[in-house]
Amino acid sequence: MPLEPFKYSESLTLGVELELQLVSLSDFDLTAASPDMLDLLARKPFPGTVTPEITESMIEIATDVHTGHTQLLGQLRAIRDTLVKAGDMLNVGVCGGGTHPFQKWSERKIFSKPRFKQVSTLYGYLAKQFTVFGQHVHVGCSSGDEALFLLHSLSRFVPHFIALSASSPYVQGRDTLFNSARLNSVFAFPLSGRAPFLLRWEDFERDYFTRMEDTGIVRSMKDFYWDIRPKPEYGTIELRVCDTPLTVDRAAALACYLQALCCYLLERKEAPPAEDDYLVYNYNRFQACRFGLDGTIVHPKTHETLSIREDLLTTLRNMEPYADKLGSEAALEHLYHVTHVGSDAHYLREEYATSGSVEGMLNAAIHRFREDSPLPDGRDAAHLAH
Amino acid sequence: MQDLLPISYQLAWPLAILVAWIAGEFGYRLTRLPRISIYGLVGFLFGNLASGVLPQSETETLMLLASVGFGLILFELGYRINLRWLRTNPWLGVTGAVEAIATFGLVYFVADWYGSPPLASLLLASLAMSTSPAGIMRVLNEQQSSGQVTERVLHLSALNCVLAVFAFKVIVGIGVFQTSGNLLQAASNSLAVLAASAGLGALLGILVPGLLRRLGNMAQDATLAFAIAVILLVAVTHAFKFSPLLATLTFGIVARHRRVTLNRTQRNFGVMGDLLAILLFFFVATTLDWRQVAGGAGLALLLIATRFVTKTLGVTAFSRLSGISWRKGALTGMALTPISVFAILLLEQTRRLGVDLVDGLPPLAAMALLLEVVGPIITQRALIWAKETPDTTENY
Repeated sequence: MPLEPFKYSESLTLGVELELQLVSLSDFDLTAASPDMLDLLARKPFPGTVTPEITESMIEIATDVHTGHTQLLGQLRAIRDTLVKAGDMLNVGVCGGGTHPFQKWSERKIFSKPRFKQVSTLYGYLAKQFTVFGQHVHVGCSSGDEALFLLHSLSRFVPHFIALSASSPYVQGRDTLFNSARLNSVFAFPLSGRAPFLLRWEDFERDYFTRMEDTGIVRSMKDFYWDIRPKPEYGTIELRVCDTPLTVDRAAALACYLQALCCYLLERKEAPPAEDDYLVYNYNRFQACRFGLDGTIVHPKTHETLSIREDLLTTLRNMEPYADKLGSEAALEHLYHVTHVGSDAHYLREEYATSGSVEGMLNAAIHRFREDSPLPDGRDAAHLAH
Repeated sequence: MQDLLPISYQLAWPLAILVAWIAGEFGYRLTRLPRISIYGLVGFLFGNLASGVLPQSETETLMLLASVGFGLILFELGYRINLRWLRTNPWLGVTGAVEAIATFGLVYFVADWYGSPPLASLLLASLAMSTSPAGIMRVLNEQQSSGQVTERVLHLSALNCVLAVFAFKVIVGIGVFQTSGNLLQAASNSLAVLAASAGLGALLGILVPGLLRRLGNMAQDATLAFAIAVILLVAVTHAFKFSPLLATLTFGIVARHRRVTLNRTQRNFGVMGDLLAILLFFFVATTLDWRQVAGGAGLALLLIATRFVTKTLGVTAFSRLSGISWRKGALTGMALTPISVFAILLLEQTRRLGVDLVDGLPPLAAMALLLEVVGPIITQRALIWAKETPDTTENY
């Protein structure tokens, strides 16, 4: 199947996809609830789209195309409320977080759909191990060239998104010491990592995709698990490094930060992206996964060592004019707050310390998902009452 | 030869359990039928063929061990119950109440029509309300199922067992009062005992998690602590002639809801649970006499059919309202079929109180035997048809 032409989208339009956990409220383990959830949700119109994911204890939601923070957040909250209500009927807790803290991968069930079964046959346990939950943000691009330019220019900011969204410190019942352990599962796939450094869509199609297709390894863009990948059929680039945050408010804020960055990059004031930018890419990515906001990264152009938190604060400040233009000041405000109180991974570790168990931590995550923006001290009202 | 006889007495039970286990494993591999069905079948054959060999003196001990095995299962059931769900989805509670009460009414009506004495009909009706937690927990864990049928079967079983125990004790109370005229004995046999049993379970449900918290190893497995507490609880309720059924179930529910945090426990209480389950299902079936089974078979079949249809329709009726499809509703109702272990242990415990009801309930032995073997198979089929069991074509 040849690569389809890159469809035109209006620049800087946004769409968000969230992979969410379905947790049994009886024992807080993941539960194969997606067939029942989808069945119940199909009875009423859904404020967005909802689809099954590879294992039956995951569900994926997607928003429509938006231009601003307010509508995006509004729709995400409406989707959340619908999911929470359906979950209550079925004894299922819906929540964010990049990993489930103690599920056993061997107990997962592959959703009955040909593509999922194929993936499962090819990848074996990796497919079930892939029961991890990410946020994907789509940004509209007016051409394939614009998409590739943004894709490579954004590589320098990937650690910001990893650190801000990190919500997967626990795997198989243990603290991994990572803030985002989820990305380690993604890295296990042979076609993961970064996209090849090509800046023209024509080149990408001829010199990379067609040749890869000839090798028989890939058949469509879906076979690539890159951190940022172009999506020609939507006319977007898709940022895939974020863990699903514990709240939809944070998901909306992350999307709007990306939108502001793209708006800034399209003014082409920064030095153009170069292949050598990727020399530091995997190191920086590791730092963000492991240490989150406390990590240190190396600037790809100046090779200066920076604290992720400092670099993020500087960038947030520089993005303010763009956020003003796009109407997403509240989103940046939300992220400033995160740099002060810590990420969701930090919140989860605190909950673990307070409650003494991964189940208690998950209970807190389920309550947090139901809430709008958390209070300034980083704890929500439901938690305090709990 | 004379010296061998006492030895064969001593070896009878261990050998019987070995035979049951081997039959269960081979039977499961060959037929994929639930192991507990096979334990039951072997137990029934063994009990009737070798009744002369089985030392009666050990029955009391075995009964206690079987009660512990059942107590562990009831605790696990209670530990998986989320009472808040009954609040957030009131139709689930309505389903449970309607399904149980309709079963009571219709089974009483059919038994009465068939000519059973009123007291026997009432007792049969109250026992028929319940779904044996042992049957469903073993099958759910064996199949590793998850989904709405699984969740609902657990919650509906807990609900109808509590209702059945109450109905049963009240009716026994009335029966005792009618025969002996002693109101005090009647009262002590019914509600007071239930309240004390539930209170005892609730007390442990608060104390044990508190103790675990003090030990400070909450992240670790709490299986052992809960198992020891269940053994204690069964022994105490056994000694004081309370209801171990209600006590252990309450213990599980309270331990889960009164927790500071949740503790994970091993499914089925690990190897110990597996061992006691063999004993439980095997032992319970050895108590069934084939003469009684043959004698009550006609009415038993009629009552089983009535109960099956009522439960299936009762649950199906509210399935759409409670958030699942008609199909899943019907499968949930079907999956509620197992009854035996619960009913037989309830009767055994009543017998220890000096009220022997088994002889007065001719169809019960046949009902118990049929459902001990067939009930788990129906639950297993319902889960497979509901697609809530793992796909066995995935070989990893």
